[in-house]
Amino acid sequence: MENILEVKDLHVTFDTYGGKVQAVRGVNFNLKKGETLAIVGESGSGKSVTTKALMGLIPKPAGKIPKGEIIFEGKDLAKLNDKHMQQIRGRDISMIFQDPMTSLNPTMKVGGQIMEGLIKHQKMNKAKAKDRAIELLDLVGIPNPKERINQYPHQFSGGMRQRVVIAIALACNPKILLADEPTTALDVTIQAQILELMKDIQKKTETSIVFITHDLGVVANVADRVAVMYAGKIVEIGTVDDIFYNPKHPYTWGLLGSMPTVDSKEDELIAIPGTPPDLMKPPKGDAFAARNPYAMKIDTEMEPPLFKVSDTHYAATWLLHEDAPQVEPPAAVKRRMKGFATADASDEKGEES
Amino acid sequence: MAKYIAQRIIYMIITLFIIATATFFLMKLLPGSPFNQVAAKLSDAQMEILLDRYGLNDPVPVQYFKYIGGLIQGDLGVSFQYNNRAVTDLIMTRIGPSAYLGAQAMIIGSILGIILGMVASIRHNSWVDYTSNILAVIGISIPSFVFAGLLQYYFAVQWRIFPPSFWEGPEYTVLPTIALMIFPMAICARFMRTEMMEVLGSDYIELARAKGVSNNKIMFKHALRNALIPVITVIGPMTVSLMTGTLVIEQIFAVPGLGEQFVRSINVNDYPMIMGTTLLFSVLFIGVVLIVDLLYGIIDPRIRLTGGKK
Repeated sequence: MENILEVKDLHVTFDTYGGKVQAVRGVNFNLKKGETLAIVGESGSGKSVTTKALMGLIPKPAGKIPKGEIIFEGKDLAKLNDKHMQQIRGRDISMIFQDPMTSLNPTMKVGGQIMEGLIKHQKMNKAKAKDRAIELLDLVGIPNPKERINQYPHQFSGGMRQRVVIAIALACNPKILLADEPTTALDVTIQAQILELMKDIQKKTETSIVFITHDLGVVANVADRVAVMYAGKIVEIGTVDDIFYNPKHPYTWGLLGSMPTVDSKEDELIAIPGTPPDLMKPPKGDAFAARNPYAMKIDTEMEPPLFKVSDTHYAATWLLHEDAPQVEPPAAVKRRMKGFATADASDEKGEES
Repeated sequence: MAKYIAQRIIYMIITLFIIATATFFLMKLLPGSPFNQVAAKLSDAQMEILLDRYGLNDPVPVQYFKYIGGLIQGDLGVSFQYNNRAVTDLIMTRIGPSAYLGAQAMIIGSILGIILGMVASIRHNSWVDYTSNILAVIGISIPSFVFAGLLQYYFAVQWRIFPPSFWEGPEYTVLPTIALMIFPMAICARFMRTEMMEVLGSDYIELARAKGVSNNKIMFKHALRNALIPVITVIGPMTVSLMTGTLVIEQIFAVPGLGEQFVRSINVNDYPMIMGTTLLFSVLFIGVVLIVDLLYGIIDPRIRLTGGKK
């Protein structure tokens, strides 16, 4: 499938009083048409900053993109000025935010907030934009859209607000939808509804989605491919099957090991020891080395390149080097990998019957 | 909505009654009598007649009930200084310049302050921001009569651009308006900057940017309205300080307004005038508070008053 977005060696830095923070340090990935790419990683790993960079929403002047390209339809978004980006934001690339309680303007009617993009990008008149807004509210599953459109955000519940945020993002049929932890602030039952809604909409509109999350359960549910980020870099990228059944990077093992499953015993939750490195002074070598029980001498000396595991699967760990010792993931993680496989198989059976 | 306003007006009347009572008894504690200046020329008997004539020999509670009785019928009594002219009449002739000055200073001051605060927040941490900050601190900390004196000296005496005092045309309003508006302007600028900074950093502004909304629209359509909500809150109390401010400013610029009259009335124990003016200020203040509350509802839909909807 053709790539709709190519990110090449993206760097983002922030100037702070304490010094320069290297939030994103050379990220490469492609986004294919109609696929969902999940970016996972812990807080501070650069997931959100990466998506903000794609939108041109890095707060200036503190934030900069000193290096790298974001190629979309032949243009490098990293070098476009704000006026041009305004044309792309909301029309070609749009975004769903994390917290629906704060991401809608409290003093503007919901309808007005949806119509704004339509009037700007699709040059609709007010009446037409209103019809479309009603249609959108209906699409995202809000009952009585004709009345709801004239209400204010405080008259909506959290889940309903997130639906409105999704409606705003979908208004102009964007080619790429960036979802920055869209379910994190919602309670679990609503989470599932919102995920279903997003999958449903993707089927209808064939939008490409970049889905940021730190919830691996969500990833398994929505993603086609997964990129694991750590300390501003992608350390492992592959299809969902690659990442869940055949993870290669010790950090990915850590993430999988720290994720509770239905049949995991109490002592099986493995926390990754330590904290992420200070990105003002990124460590020499592999940024994960200090927390990595499998770290080798070379990890503290040189950064590992992305080793190819298969055509779809790459991981940046020296363990994949031909001279490295054979290391197996921890037993708990292995059990989990098996667990995913069987759960998946039974899922499929369930769907068939 | 109508029900809400009616309810508020009832509360206003109760508040006014309490204010009238408190002022009445406090005023009676003032030393001297309204006839101090003429006392030397009058015999004791004549003085007695005068005091009787105005009911000032009655016990204080009787005077109080008489006054309240008149008040309920809309009668504020007669002034002792101006040959028995009705207080209402005197206030009506004096209120014009005061209201004009106050409104002009308040409107220009708060609008300029809001613009200044907005510019400072857009260009935050630049020289514009620092300058407006310094101006705001100066405006808040230096009392208006200092500005009044400086303005008079430079603009009227040294450069002769504006007349120094009196009330004979629009150009006479310029200097007192500037002296009065500096405080509300400074307060508005400070508040507006802080609020704008907070609003501009909020999620819904980022979402508006993500929609591709232009910077101007983000400022005026999304940010301004949200930032104004807290600013409106300070405008209420500010109006009060402006009212007391006018007392001094009217003296300095010899403006024939209520403030100037009020000060004189206190000096000569003109009880009905003091009562009348105090009550008027109270009505204005309570009215402003009500207007601010109603404005809240217009600006912020979350606290829109729906009149007993459950």
